[in-house]
Amino acid sequence: MLIDGLLIGGLIIVVGIGFSLCFGVMHIVDFAVGEWVMLGAYTGFILVRYFGHDPMIYLPLVFLIFCALGWAIYPLIYRAVSGKRHNPVLMGLVFTFGLSILAKGGALSVWGYHIQSITTWLSGKSLALGPLTIPALRFSGFLFGILITLLLMLFLYKTRLGITIRATAQDREMANLLGTDVRKVGALVYSLYAGVTGMSGILIGALFSIHAAMGVKYCTLAFFVVVLAGMGYVPGVIIAGLILGLLQSFVGVYIGGRYNLVALFMVMYGVLLITPKGILRRGI
Amino acid sequence: MKHNIFKSFLIIGLIFIFLGVTGIELVRAQEKRDFFKVGVVTSLSGELVFGGTVTKRGYDIWADTVNQQGGIDIAGKKYKVNLVYADDQSTPATAAVAGERLITQEKVDFILGPYASGPTLALAPITEKYKMPHITGSAESPLIWQRKFKYTFGTIPSVNLTAQGIIQTLAQDVSPKPKTIGILGIDDPFSKFTAEAFKAASEKLGLKVLKYEIVPEGSDYTPAITSIKAVNPDIFAMGNHEKAAIEMMKIAKELRFNPKAFVQHYGMTTPDFRKGLGKDCEYVFGNAVWTPNMKHQSTILFKTTKEYADAFVAKFKTDPDYTEAGSTAAGIAFQEALRMIKATPPLTDAQKDALIGALEKLNIMTFYGQIKFATEGDSYHCNAGLQPVALQYQGGKTVEVGPGKLRAVGPKYPTPSWDKR
Repeated sequence: MLIDGLLIGGLIIVVGIGFSLCFGVMHIVDFAVGEWVMLGAYTGFILVRYFGHDPMIYLPLVFLIFCALGWAIYPLIYRAVSGKRHNPVLMGLVFTFGLSILAKGGALSVWGYHIQSITTWLSGKSLALGPLTIPALRFSGFLFGILITLLLMLFLYKTRLGITIRATAQDREMANLLGTDVRKVGALVYSLYAGVTGMSGILIGALFSIHAAMGVKYCTLAFFVVVLAGMGYVPGVIIAGLILGLLQSFVGVYIGGRYNLVALFMVMYGVLLITPKGILRRGI
Repeated sequence: MKHNIFKSFLIIGLIFIFLGVTGIELVRAQEKRDFFKVGVVTSLSGELVFGGTVTKRGYDIWADTVNQQGGIDIAGKKYKVNLVYADDQSTPATAAVAGERLITQEKVDFILGPYASGPTLALAPITEKYKMPHITGSAESPLIWQRKFKYTFGTIPSVNLTAQGIIQTLAQDVSPKPKTIGILGIDDPFSKFTAEAFKAASEKLGLKVLKYEIVPEGSDYTPAITSIKAVNPDIFAMGNHEKAAIEMMKIAKELRFNPKAFVQHYGMTTPDFRKGLGKDCEYVFGNAVWTPNMKHQSTILFKTTKEYADAFVAKFKTDPDYTEAGSTAAGIAFQEALRMIKATPPLTDAQKDALIGALEKLNIMTFYGQIKFATEGDSYHCNAGLQPVALQYQGGKTVEVGPGKLRAVGPKYPTPSWDKR
């Protein structure tokens, strides 16, 4: 049960990490986060169908494709949230909500209503650890989540560009006055976010199933994890993801699966009421 | 200023008068039509789009075949059918709005209903309010029939009756006999009642229910399956739709959960289940009220089950399952009831009421089997003419394994472990 919780948490981390970065730096609440997952899963499916090989091989390629997509879309988002808008956060929310609907409708038109599935060499395999059975694919998802978070942390804290991104996150106007091209920084962050989230779609598609409406639940999970982690606080995503995974696992076994969402909502409301900056009090 | 406001009101007033007059003209124009206008509410977008498309295929092949034959023969004259679709977006509230639009604006003659039970339960009160005949070719929740809607009928028997077939087969026809069962269902009107039906049938047949779990749609089913795995039941039964059907099997494999039998209901009969799981679909048991292998004979529209299956494959390049057949049968039920009362389009309110009377008296044999709607009890207006058949994947296709005389081949039991398939 503990292992289950940790492994579910790993998946939540993968989806939440990019979302947190996007909100932290650009203050954009991206409603289309689940649709990036869905598009990533479909891209993996298409690549496997046409070129064969294991879907895991395509992780870097999918990352690059979605980075490029994110880079291409960012100017539109920038236009929606900048200028003389009364409420840029709301504008971003509305714009990405539109993107989400467009992506869902587009996927339905292009790929149809069939439920697809991809299989990797890890599918169905497990690691035996004494009496415990650890599903290999979920474990790889967990490792992937931790690895991506660590890489992002290294990038944000140890590179000049990362420091520029953090400076922009802290005070956008001051960074702009000191010569930072905040628009380019935003584009970079959004493309990183799209790349990481699109990549996670392959893992999620291999674990579950692929269809146009699959993104909705990941959007909800991303919101949960970001509230718990502290809005915009990237390192908190690991702890928040693991807490949510464990919560789902323990509630599912001891109280009943039907109470999972209730438990998640109660935790989210509790955090918002008691410590709005997240459990580590490091969010915005 | 006052003059401008007066002018605006005048223009708006004239627009309304124009729309009113042309609207009345449109309604009058519709009253003269010589074809049946059939409203269809189903899920053409959203979570249930797969199932919505399944029902659409069933309804489409009925309408196309009727029209190819010149239309429905009413007292020597043939009337074509024209399907008017409304998307319920996979939500009950939208199903109600879509139904109301079809009735009040499109002025349809009757309605073919949604894929899922939730939208059907929302649409039924609307068809009741407007006294509009409505047959669902897909919904299976007993909740629909227990509410005794006068204007709603269904061609697929209620799931609490059909889900017993596979449990009966496993409890009585395999050796060594299973003793225990773990049940997992999704919290929606169809899946939850499927799980409940599995539970009721198990208790009736002496199987011990070790775990019974209902979880929300779209959640991660891993904790629930882990908890069922922990009690080690002989049978793992799942109440779900097609997506969860695939996901639950994938999770069971990830967790190396090896019960002696995996049991599903609707999901396992879809081609996506087979494609999505590959060889992992082997040995999975399920239920249906119709398969393309059945030998029904009829004089209406399709002469045999095979003729329907062949026409379906030619049109859609895939095998039909029982939901598609049930949807086609819903159209056939309407066409035969219309012939009985000799009603021509557009239907008047009195003819719609007469149509309900004809549907209640209907007793016909079709490619899908017998259609005879119950007129009393908890299955009120649900098709009581069909028997459930237990299925199992053997050699990449579903075969009939029971119960009793319905068996075509013996069930393969127990299921080998995942690495020996």
